[in-house]
Amino acid sequence: MSDAHAKPVRHKTPPIRRDWLAKTLAGTVLGATLALGVSGLYSHLHAGLALPTRGQLAMWMVPPIWLGALSGVYFFSSGLRAWLWLGAGNALVYGALLALPQTG
Amino acid sequence: MKADYIRIYKSVHTWTGLISGMALFIAFYAGALTVFKEPIVRWVSPPSQARLVPLADAQTLIQQALASRPDAAKSFVIHVRDDESVAQRMEWQIRDPQADDHDESATRRYGATLDAAGQAQFQELNPSILGEFIDVLHRVVGLPVDSDPNRWIMGVIAVLYTLALVSGVVVLLPSLVKDFFALRVGKNLKRMWLDAHNVVGIVSLPFHLVMALTAVVFAYHDQIYGLQDRLIHNGQWASAFQRPAAQSGAAPSRDPAHMLSPPALLDTAQAAAPGLRPTALEYQNVTGPRAVVRVWGKDPTAVAPRALGGFIALDPYSGKPLNTDYLPGRQDTPNLLISSFFALHMASFGGSAVQWMYFLLGMAGAWLFYTGNLLWIETRRRKQTRQNPLPPAQRLDTLLMAHATVGICLGCVCGISLTIVGGKWLHGIVQDMRNCHMLLYYAAFFGCIAWAFCRSPGRAAVHLLWAAALLTLCIPATTLLAWLIPSLGLWGHTSAATLGVDLTAFAGALCFSWMARATARRLARGPADSVWAGKDSSTY
Repeated sequence: MSDAHAKPVRHKTPPIRRDWLAKTLAGTVLGATLALGVSGLYSHLHAGLALPTRGQLAMWMVPPIWLGALSGVYFFSSGLRAWLWLGAGNALVYGALLALPQTG
Repeated sequence: MKADYIRIYKSVHTWTGLISGMALFIAFYAGALTVFKEPIVRWVSPPSQARLVPLADAQTLIQQALASRPDAAKSFVIHVRDDESVAQRMEWQIRDPQADDHDESATRRYGATLDAAGQAQFQELNPSILGEFIDVLHRVVGLPVDSDPNRWIMGVIAVLYTLALVSGVVVLLPSLVKDFFALRVGKNLKRMWLDAHNVVGIVSLPFHLVMALTAVVFAYHDQIYGLQDRLIHNGQWASAFQRPAAQSGAAPSRDPAHMLSPPALLDTAQAAAPGLRPTALEYQNVTGPRAVVRVWGKDPTAVAPRALGGFIALDPYSGKPLNTDYLPGRQDTPNLLISSFFALHMASFGGSAVQWMYFLLGMAGAWLFYTGNLLWIETRRRKQTRQNPLPPAQRLDTLLMAHATVGICLGCVCGISLTIVGGKWLHGIVQDMRNCHMLLYYAAFFGCIAWAFCRSPGRAAVHLLWAAALLTLCIPATTLLAWLIPSLGLWGHTSAATLGVDLTAFAGALCFSWMARATARRLARGPADSVWAGKDSSTY
């Protein structure tokens, strides 16, 4: 930009950290646990369905959630943020699982 | 910021695509052919030696056969259709209980027929494994056996494939409106290939997403079920599929002579499911208290729960329907949803129109991965300059990638055509057709790879494309020879399905020869500063 106009110095957004290993691991591991947790919530909330049907649906929803998390993980600005956000998501889901009344 | 995301996802797309691309080419080429597994098996099956027992006499056949082979009562099949792949009206299998679920080689098949005196005659059957072999190549990305470790390798490829799809879309999205349907043919080769890659990728994106996610499920479902059983189902999962145990004080053994006859059972099934076109009756435990017969069939107007179609389960003694959970068009919503995941992968809905659509989408997919590699190579090309008028040496990695892409992709094409043709020529000469199909395929596959690395990539591509064209042309040529020279001992079927195989192979051979000529033209007139132009004495 031109220097002639003395604009107030804007904080440039820091570049997105690549953190390939940290992000990929976060997506692979926490994405998988998140998907399993969500499938558990689904199963709890649809206890009326027969187990063979409910179990198959719960299995089928795991890969889309897992790989959705894995393929979105590179949007995080750093590996640490990826771990924190996905970790928080996991805590939320597993917290809900524990809070739900145990049935069956 | 936005540009940075695109740079990151471009790296993801490049590396996941590069690692998985050639394996996916094999999966898609073999998969497109697997859509027409049944016609291919019919094409290669020899004419049946024995006369098929008429369906009307099948009840006698069952009684006679079970009287001398009671072990077949656990499970046997009465074929309803009379096509080339059916060797005997009644058939059963004995499996090695130690073998892997997906391992078809551990199964021995037997058939039964009636002789002139009305006595049952038995025969071990060796149905062609050609269709199964191509299917296995498809399921485990070109590896020979569908085993657990091979499926996990396929699963890793499928995960990379999913990442490549999403990252490709992220990279393309900002310029989608500008680039979509723009095919800029011209001087800039990379631009043209990229436009073509993008158009095919975006148009078939839903198909690819379905394939990627279902492939991950097919690879890892056992592990996911195992984890969920502990986490969610409290260890109840395995028992959920068992039917309640029979009452104690075992019921007396039942006499199969009192079962309804197959034509009567078919009438019953037809009344309950008018759209079903029956293909086979699968009997289970007919002498026990829980005898059941599954009337398998297809219904082109409905979603089929399995690749083979669906079934209605009847009591073979009373004809009472026992289960319609797997009956096409009669499933409840949750079961229909589950069936649709299978059907969307296996093209088992919508009849032959959808099968052709999947065949073409599969071929387009194989082409997509091939062009991905071409783009990677083109991006890293070293160009001639005014200062440096001699064509520069190309990078070693792009050169190796060009050799490998040509050898692996065309090796798969040549190998499959050769193993299809060999299924007819070597029938009766070779005892072990399973190993024979494998040997033919891998001989051609590795031969092509070796050839590709010994020649310059461009020349190898021309040679191997001609080889693919010739080998594929041998498929209809074999049928033609069988008609013209009957003394050869070959056979040529005349049903529409098997003629379809011949015609499709002929069209395929024309396509390959057209590509061979186009590639040769490119070699003769194309720029010299490219991996495709190099002379055979390579630069490394």
